[in-house]
Parts: sequence; structure tokens; C-alpha cells
Amino acid sequence: MSAWRQAGLNYINYSKISAKLLRQALKSDLKADALKREASHLKVTKWEDGKPIKTSEY
Amino acid sequence: MAAMRSMSRLLTSRALNTTIRRGYAEEMNFTFAAGNQVFYDGKSVKQVDVPSFSGSFGILPKHVPTLAVLKPGVVSVYEEDGGVKKIFVSSGTVTINEDSSVQILAEEAHPIENIDASAARELLTKSQSQLSSAANDQAKAEAEIAIEVSEALVKAAE
Repeated sequence: MSAWRQAGLNYINYSKISAKLLRQALKSDLKADALKREASHLKVTKWEDGKPIKTSEY
Repeated sequence: MAAMRSMSRLLTSRALNTTIRRGYAEEMNFTFAAGNQVFYDGKSVKQVDVPSFSGSFGILPKHVPTLAVLKPGVVSVYEEDGGVKKIFVSSGTVTINEDSSVQILAEEAHPIENIDASAARELLTKSQSQLSSAANDQAKAEAEIAIEVSEALVKAAE
């Protein structure tokens, strides 16, 4: 078993690190565009009785 | 050979036909896509070399059906016209089907000429210092992955 698996990581974690590094190693003209893909946005809105109560962004 | 003959008697005619069809396929339908770009979409190619956790291997038409998890490294695609394309993959999967079709799905993939060699070397140094300052097992494991990936990047950019 690989060391990272023993430390509790899975292949999704591995893949994320690897993809991130590849983006950082790109030539500068391509890098700017690639780094935009890094961000992920999640907006959660709680609804009660048909009305939005609270919105939080992650 | 005798064993093969007795084996074939056990197969239904349909299964036998399928085997023969696969056995004589001279081309493979190749699809290679990543989160950032589609490189091949059902194109016929001669050979594909992939780095995987079960070792690096080459895929030719008639390859036995296989599933493998990609290791960061260079995928070489030998096109029909004789050209070779080298693409660095971060991670992902490779699927080889019974009909000789091959799919590679990667999280991120770029032609090796788009990798900046000095940026890759910088990442390697950075991940090495990340390892020496790692406080727990998980941080240590993450740094080790980073080193492995940057080493592959440096090698590919050479």
C-alpha cells in the first residue's frame, strides 16, 4: 500500500494535488487561464416555508 | 492447443464470434479527454503508451480489456500518419474495452511542450521544503505526492 493511502488520503486527494501542480508548471501564457479552473464555488441557500432564509457562499 | 480446442467447444457461437471480431481488429478507436481539453474523440491510432499505478504499458489494437488508474506522467500517442504526440496527464483512468476501443479520462492534461521546465524545477524544490516542514502524517503524504508529481513534470519538460 502506498504511503499516502496509509496516511488516510485517497486517489481523489492525489488527483487534486497532481492536477494543481500540473497547472502551476505551465508556461506563463497558458497558466493564467488554467489557474481559473482551480476555484470552485458553492452557494447554499436554506429555504423555509417557501422562502429563502440564509445564503452562504463557500 | 488441445486445451484451447476444448475451451472453444464450451463457448457459444455468439461468444466465439465476438472473440474473433476482437482478435482481428487492426485499429483502435481512441478517446482522450481531460477537464481542460478534448485531445482525441474516437480517432483511430496505432499505439498508446500510458503511465499507470500498475506500471507503464503500451496499448496496441487487440489489447486485453483492462482498467487502470493513471500515474502522473507522459502519455504517448502514435498516430496513424506516423506522428507521435506526448501529453502529460495529472491523473485519471484508462479503459480498454473488448471491442479494442480505448478511453483515457484525465483531470488535467497538457502537451509536454506547454510545460515550463524552470517552473517544474521550482515546484520540486517547493515540495521538498514542504516535506521537511510537514507536521503530521497527512501533510507528509501530501508533500510526498507533490514531490512525485514534480519529479515527473521535470522529467517530462527536459
